[in-house]
Amino acid sequence: MNRNVSRIFAALFGILAIALPLFAGDYPLQVARNIMLYMALAITWDMLLRSGQISFGIAGLFGVGAYAAILGVIRAGMPAWFSIIFAAIFSGVVAFAIGFLILRLRAMYFSIVTLALGEIFRIIIHNLHDFTGGPEGVVMQQGVIFGGSAGKLYWLTLAGLAVAIAASYWFEKSKIHFALTAIRNNEISAKSSGVNIFRWLLLAFVVTSAIQGLLGGIFVQSYGFATPDTVFSADFTLLPLAMALLGGVYSTRGPIFGAILLGLVSEWLKLKIPYGHLVVYGIIIIIVILFMPQGLKQLVRQPANKTDRRSA
Amino acid sequence: MSKLKTENLTRRFLGLVAVNNVSFSMEEGEILGIIGPNGAGKTTFINLISGIIMPSEGLIEYKGQDITYIPAHERARMGIARTYQLIHPLENLTLIENVMVGSIFAKGNGLKEARRRAEALCQELGLTGLDRDTSRLTILEIKKMEIARALANEPEVLFLDEVMAGLNADETKDIIAMVQKIAQERHLAVGVVEHVMGVIRELTHRVIVLEAGELIAEGKYEDVSKNPRVIEAYLGGGAA
Amino acid sequence: MVVKRRTAIIAAMSIAATIALILWKPTVLIYGLQAAGLYAAVAIPMGLVLGIVHIVNLSHGEFMMVAAYAAYSACKALGMDPLLAIIPTAIVTAIFGWVIFQLTIRRALKGPELNQLILTFGLAIAFTQTINLIFTSQTYKIPLDYVSASMDIGDITFGTWSFVFVAVAIVYTYGLQFFLTKTTTGKAALAVGQNPRGAAIVGIDVYRTYGLVFALAMALVGAMGALFLTKSAIFPGVGTPFTMKSFCLIAMAGVGNIPGILGASVLLGVAENFLRAFRPTRDWAEIVFFVLIIVVIVGRSLKGRKS
Repeated sequence: MNRNVSRIFAALFGILAIALPLFAGDYPLQVARNIMLYMALAITWDMLLRSGQISFGIAGLFGVGAYAAILGVIRAGMPAWFSIIFAAIFSGVVAFAIGFLILRLRAMYFSIVTLALGEIFRIIIHNLHDFTGGPEGVVMQQGVIFGGSAGKLYWLTLAGLAVAIAASYWFEKSKIHFALTAIRNNEISAKSSGVNIFRWLLLAFVVTSAIQGLLGGIFVQSYGFATPDTVFSADFTLLPLAMALLGGVYSTRGPIFGAILLGLVSEWLKLKIPYGHLVVYGIIIIIVILFMPQGLKQLVRQPANKTDRRSA
Repeated sequence: MSKLKTENLTRRFLGLVAVNNVSFSMEEGEILGIIGPNGAGKTTFINLISGIIMPSEGLIEYKGQDITYIPAHERARMGIARTYQLIHPLENLTLIENVMVGSIFAKGNGLKEARRRAEALCQELGLTGLDRDTSRLTILEIKKMEIARALANEPEVLFLDEVMAGLNADETKDIIAMVQKIAQERHLAVGVVEHVMGVIRELTHRVIVLEAGELIAEGKYEDVSKNPRVIEAYLGGGAA
Repeated sequence: MVVKRRTAIIAAMSIAATIALILWKPTVLIYGLQAAGLYAAVAIPMGLVLGIVHIVNLSHGEFMMVAAYAAYSACKALGMDPLLAIIPTAIVTAIFGWVIFQLTIRRALKGPELNQLILTFGLAIAFTQTINLIFTSQTYKIPLDYVSASMDIGDITFGTWSFVFVAVAIVYTYGLQFFLTKTTTGKAALAVGQNPRGAAIVGIDVYRTYGLVFALAMALVGAMGALFLTKSAIFPGVGTPFTMKSFCLIAMAGVGNIPGILGASVLLGVAENFLRAFRPTRDWAEIVFFVLIIVVIVGRSLKGRKS
């Protein structure tokens, strides 16, 4: 009964999301695009988090994807649509290679190294002037994909989000869910149940990184240019993290709710306080960690839910 | 041929010898007690056999195959299963899902098949309310779930690390009977680490005694318990 | 034996490298040491917190940034020299750090390590953005004459003011060494760091000690904030790189090894300035830290795996 209701809601919401460009103006579409982009990144961050690994490197792989796409178009003459796929593949391959080194690390060491890797990617792009355009970045001569049509750009971002949601559901409904949950809870007992820890971590890392790269490709195609400071911006790490934490981690729904809520609030704040509106994100992270470790899920959860401990 | 055997198995930690030159073997259908005072190296010994840590020296053979340096998850697939002294049920997974993990990864079953097998296992062990969160289980249920999780690997060798700890007399009896039945029906070789000597006497066919990492005695419990060296170890160690 | 030989080889190589540098590019060594002093003086308090409170404080550099802004405001309002602001800034930052510790970090100490990481990450954002909110992203600088003091040796000229950071780093290192081994409070702190449960059993108030150590570290960082203001322009993101760099130095030295931070800083400071000395490699100096942090951490984990 309850499940059906939520399914109907999800379906309605999906239809609404697809149909939005038919009745919304350019500004709401632009806001919606931003929110969807961060939402998708939040979902990918959460997907890896389900294994217990906290990445601070979202911006790094997002930026790598962004540059792969734009340089693919400019240097290799790829069609715009293909460059987006190329971005996903490229980030995935990069993640696969570095995964062999860094997925042996745990806890703070993993987190710090992902943060450092993001910086390394940024500096490399920054310094390879001749190939990447250096600090000034690169602009696509042929301009934004779809001639900048607001509706089509919206659908493109929506498609990226759909990929993230689909992947997240795949993670939730398949063996991967068991593997990652077992690893997060206790690696030693996971091994004793036959879980090849490294293999599953590598899978999760490569898939989430590829989606982050895909989103970078979509981002860069939607704006027609890339500079190291825009595509490697710490915002791409910070905002998704805050959104997922606020909505509630280890699920697909949590980051979705968190992104809608925080996205709308920050859009409003951006107009009110141009400098420093991001302070809200910092404060939300602090409050969530200290007072509501399960995020908003904690508030909306029904008392009869099987994972609720205190009631019943 | 023995199911499992070790030769001169040794593990050092920073100069401290936790397991020293232990050679032993286990046969099909046998329930072996592994006893010794606190800190004798019993858990380290099981960790070595299940591959959680690697030995400094020595050899481990499983069904005639050298598995000394094979990683833990592969040993689980080959048929070596174990439970842990400190229990860690997987949070965010239900009882049945906990049991499914072994079936999925050690046996490579799909989710549906794994669930079917896990249900059968739970029924066999008398576990009900399979969709409950693990935080709602009693200690006895958690212990049974741990055993079910290990059995979901469909092992040929099973190690139980202090599985009776924290249970009352009736519950202990329940588990003893269960382990005996499981071992017999599945022709398992079972290794049991236990502090309560009554349990060892009732449950095991044979025991080995470790002290300071060394194997100091081996045989039927009745004989070993009269061995002066064993008595000395227990009295000297101040535990039992 | 092998270890000894390796140490000897490293020592010989570094002496040879130093002599070569002095003869060939003396400024690399001079500026390298100055940079090393700055890095070490900021990293040492973080090492203290990590060694005793056992948290990676991702808002470490931001505390220094906040201190620098506090010092700047005081100097502007009172027309004071930043050097005079060092002690007051240290005290204010220590109190601020203590309050933040009690309100937030203390509550997360019992939780999983990753919560602490995310929490301090949130603190970092909150600090940076609050400063951004108040001061905007504009840069501020206090012009001072003595900062441009320079010295000539032979035909080279170099700034001397930044040697003050080297002095501070050395004072911090040996001061802390003295504090931790010779004073009662320091010994208690060390005991808490090594074995909190044991320390609690012998009657040390563990959480009070954590709070004190954190406040002490923030005092040291606060002093550095005021001192940093003499030399550099400040902006909201000015502290952020120091967090990463400090962690890198601590990881190289090994947690709990405060004198080791000095050595690691020299290595990194000189390496950075070496790259900076040549046109083709100038832009790559920034990457040295990040590459080293990965090499060190990954190297450690591989080594730990074998033993």
